[in-house]
Amino acid sequence: MKLSLRTRLLGAVVVAVVLIFLCSVIAARAVLQHDLYDLARTEVTSEASAFGGYVASRKQQVELLVAQEAASDALRASLQHHDTAALQSELSASASNAGLSFLTVVDTSGKVIARASTRGGGTLAKDALVQSALSGEALGTIWHVSRAFLSSEGLALQVGSLDGGLAIAAATPISDAQGRTIGALYGGALLNHAYDLVDEATRAIGGASALLQGDTIISSSIDRPDGTRFVDAQVPAADDVLRLGHAFVGSDTEGGTEYYASITPLTDAQGRTIGAMWYGLPLSQITSIIGHTTQALVLWLVLAVVVVLALAIPFVQGLSKTLARNSTRIRETAKELGIVIVGSEVSGDQVTAAKHAVERSGELLAQAAAGNAVGERIAELQGLNHELESDVTVVETLTQEMSTRMNDAVKRVAELNEVAAALNELVTGESS
Amino acid sequence: MAMAELILIFATNADAMIATKALKDAGVTAKMIPKPAGVDSTANLCLAIDGSAENDAASALNVAGISFGGVAR
Repeated sequence: MKLSLRTRLLGAVVVAVVLIFLCSVIAARAVLQHDLYDLARTEVTSEASAFGGYVASRKQQVELLVAQEAASDALRASLQHHDTAALQSELSASASNAGLSFLTVVDTSGKVIARASTRGGGTLAKDALVQSALSGEALGTIWHVSRAFLSSEGLALQVGSLDGGLAIAAATPISDAQGRTIGALYGGALLNHAYDLVDEATRAIGGASALLQGDTIISSSIDRPDGTRFVDAQVPAADDVLRLGHAFVGSDTEGGTEYYASITPLTDAQGRTIGAMWYGLPLSQITSIIGHTTQALVLWLVLAVVVVLALAIPFVQGLSKTLARNSTRIRETAKELGIVIVGSEVSGDQVTAAKHAVERSGELLAQAAAGNAVGERIAELQGLNHELESDVTVVETLTQEMSTRMNDAVKRVAELNEVAAALNELVTGESS
Repeated sequence: MAMAELILIFATNADAMIATKALKDAGVTAKMIPKPAGVDSTANLCLAIDGSAENDAASALNVAGISFGGVAR
C-alpha cells in the first residue's frame, strides 16, 4: 500500500518525536535508577550505622547498669553473708528497673549464688564473660547464651527452637572493701523476641531493622503483609556475611517486601561472628519514584505528540496541497505537450500522404496527356482529387488545432518554469 | 482509402490525433478524415479503418487508454 506524502511526512514527524522522547525516557529512567540506587546505598549504609549505634548504645547501657549494681554495698554485703534471699530480692528489683532479662551473682568459683528470676544453683564457671569478670576485668558484649543457661533463667521459651539465644550481656567483678574479688555479677538483655531495640531504631531512623542470630531473624520491625511481625525466618543473604564477616548491601526480600538492605556482622568479645544486624529501606520507595517519573515523562510524550501534530498538520497539509497543485499542473502540461508532439507527427504523416496524392495526380495527368487509357486515368484522378480535398481539409483542421495547441504549449512551458521555481523555493528556501 | 468501412468517432480532435498515433504504433492502418456529414461529434476529425481491423483497433485504443465516442459504418 502506497502512503500519501502527507501521511508519510506526519508519520516521520511523529516517529521522530516518539523516538526522541523514548530515548529521553530510557536515558532519564536509567540515570534516575542509577542515582536513586546510589542514594539508597548511601542512605542504607548510613542508617545501618545508626542502627549499629543503637545496639552499641544498648550494650553500653547494659554494661553501666551491671557495673552500678555490682558496686552496690547492699549486694556486696548480701554476697559476703551468703544471704541468697536478700540477693535474689535485690537482683530481681534491679533487673526489673533496668529492663534486664537476667541478672545473676556468682561466687569466685563461678557457682551461681542467686538469680533475679529464679532461685540459685548451677555454675557459670565456663562462661567466658564470667571468667573475665572473676579475673577482675569487666566486659560487655553481644553474647551467645546457651539454652541450658536460658532454661535455668526461665527464659528458654523466649528463644523457641533455637539452640540458645543472643543477648547483650555484661559481667563485672564484685569486690569487697579491700578490693578483693568476691564474686561477679552477670546480667544482660535477651534479644530473641524482644522488640524494644528494633522498634526504637525504626521510630528514629525509619526503614526496617532486624537482629539475626546466625542467619535467623530473632527480632525485627519488619511487617508481614498481614501486619504481623516478621521473625523466626532465615535470611539467605546473611550466609556470606556470617561466613566471610563482610557486610552486604543490596536487594533483599523479607516478609514479602523487597528492601534495599544492609547486613553487617555482629561479633562477640572473642571476635566470633554470632549474628548480624539487618537494616532495609523498602525498594518501593525507589521504584515508585522511578514509576512516577516515567509516567510523567510518558504523559509529556503524549502531550508533545499532540502539540507537534497540531503544529505539523496545517504545515503538512499546506505543503501537500502546494505539491499536489504543482503536480497537477505538470501532469496537465506534460499531457498537452504530448498531444502537440503526437499532433506534429500526425500532421507530418498527413502532409506526406497529400504530397503522394499530388505526385500520383501528376503521373496520371502525364499518362492522360500521352493518350494512355484517358478515361481510366481521369476516373482515377477524380478519386484522387476527392481524397486530396479530404486531406487538405484534415491538414487545415490539424494546422488550426496545432496552432492553438502550440500557443497553449508556450504558456504551459512558462507555467512549468514557475512550477520549477516554486518547487525550488519550497525545497531550498531560495527564490529564483 | 477505398477499402474503408468503419469510421471511428472521437470527442476531441486531440483524441483523434492520439488515436492515429496509437493505431500506427499498433500496426493498424488508419486514415484521418474530416467528420462526415451526418456524424454527430464535437470533433472535426475522424479515423477511417478497414472493417476487418475493428478488433485490433479497439484493442490498441484500449491499451493506449483512448475512448472513442462511437463507430459509423
